[in-house]
Amino acid sequence: MFQTIRLHFLKAGLQTLIQDQGRVGYQSYGVPVSGVMDKKSAALANELVGNPTDTPVLEITLLGPKIQIQGDCQIAITGADLSPKINKEAIPLYTTITVKDGDTLSFGAIKNGCRAYIAVRGKWQLSKWLNSYSALPYSGKEATPKSVIEKGQELIIEVASPIAKKSIPKAEQPVYKNSERIRVLPGPEFEEFSSYTIAYFFSRGYQLTNDSNRMGYRLDANLIDFKPKREVISSGIIPGTIQITSSGQPVILMADAQTVGGYYRIANVISADMDKLAQLKPGDEVWFSLIRLAEILD
Amino acid sequence: MIQSIKIYGDQAILINFEQQIDTTINAAVVALQKAIEHANIDGVRYMIPAYCSLTIGYNPTVIEYGILQEVIKQIGATLFESETNNAQGTFQKSPNKKSSRQLKIPVCYEAPYALDLEALSKEKGLTKEKIIALHTSQTYKVYLLGFLPGFVFMGKIVPELECNRKVTPRLRVPASSVGIAGFQTGIYPTVSPGGWQILGQTPLKIFDPHKENPFLFQAGDEVSFYAITNEEFLKIEQEEKQ
Repeated sequence: MFQTIRLHFLKAGLQTLIQDQGRVGYQSYGVPVSGVMDKKSAALANELVGNPTDTPVLEITLLGPKIQIQGDCQIAITGADLSPKINKEAIPLYTTITVKDGDTLSFGAIKNGCRAYIAVRGKWQLSKWLNSYSALPYSGKEATPKSVIEKGQELIIEVASPIAKKSIPKAEQPVYKNSERIRVLPGPEFEEFSSYTIAYFFSRGYQLTNDSNRMGYRLDANLIDFKPKREVISSGIIPGTIQITSSGQPVILMADAQTVGGYYRIANVISADMDKLAQLKPGDEVWFSLIRLAEILD
Repeated sequence: MIQSIKIYGDQAILINFEQQIDTTINAAVVALQKAIEHANIDGVRYMIPAYCSLTIGYNPTVIEYGILQEVIKQIGATLFESETNNAQGTFQKSPNKKSSRQLKIPVCYEAPYALDLEALSKEKGLTKEKIIALHTSQTYKVYLLGFLPGFVFMGKIVPELECNRKVTPRLRVPASSVGIAGFQTGIYPTVSPGGWQILGQTPLKIFDPHKENPFLFQAGDEVSFYAITNEEFLKIEQEEKQ
């Protein structure tokens, strides 16, 4: 007999989503990759409860949900420190936690980072769409129902027998800063920017504006000496692309970005630094360092 | 044919063709995509064909950038050089001609679907019948899908029909609306905000997430439209639901 538990959402939080490793291979139909913004944290959460890496997790942003848990289970929370509590008692991140039937999981102050991940041990009763559980942006209601958590919603999980508690030592847990230096490679149109614009781009830090989200991070400055010389014909977009809008504003495209775009692309964030970027929130600062592909391969 | 092959981040490669929106160049993009698909290269994760570029995502722990670049160059050479011997280095024959699908799409150009036809008719000084005749007179090539999952960009429409996007975009364009903007014609897959001038609507579901293949179109398809009445629209729509 399978035992099932229910997650009953008393509050949805600011943006609580079902995510997994994403939907790769359908960009040619205009389907964004999606998936967890911080891959490492999500994978760790699943590892701490003994789930396969492709098990979905809940991605929560800044303001967490309030969840009543109906049934005994094991959970783990990683990524941002949003002050998680079980029945008003603080619980640690990066540890397997045993939850009892009727317990309530909630969140409080934002101490560190932007996005937290909740893994629950067991098999989630959800169906995949195009090989992924991730919420489809723009038109997901029909394709991926229940993937954008709403108040009053329930999720059902078939629990597996408990595993021995695991923890990640404090020293190995990431600490997110409010200002990060991100490594980038030259983008497709890099050569078409003036050396003055390039020098300016790398000479300063940028704040993430309030309309930064899973589609893209808008930065709070306009590059100087930038006049688009030609119209860029729409071309494939990948997460991590930094495009410069006609007014000169840099935008870093993230997991839910459209699959094609028609702006100058000055640089691309290297994949190893995407997780760090995922933990920046509006108001935080980002600086860019230019590197060469050979430096990553070494 | 291929103008450049560049790094695009540390897990993708960007192949640029001559930077022009042109049916022949776009056919070459699709041909290269099909050839790379066919070659089944280990480590290639996805491709994004666009007007005159092809983005290829790869797993660098399986295949290195340098090797992938060489493989693509070779595939490109085999694919395009055999085609260019007969001309002055231009791409003459469309290699996917045989394989490109021909789709005939019914469109109702009447109320309540033809949201901008009346205004466009006044603006252009063309009768509604003339606009419909012009829109249905061409066979269009699907350049790419993007903007929204399943949104189809096709071209080119006849110069008389070319128009700007609406100054104030609509907040809700109905799903399956057929519109024009610039020299392109397109179809909205789902209800969404949008600025294209809407000529009509097809009763076909061009995006159906419940189907095994949710998308009616793919890049490289050849599409023509034919006008249907309101009654025919409702009939086909009913059939679609079954």
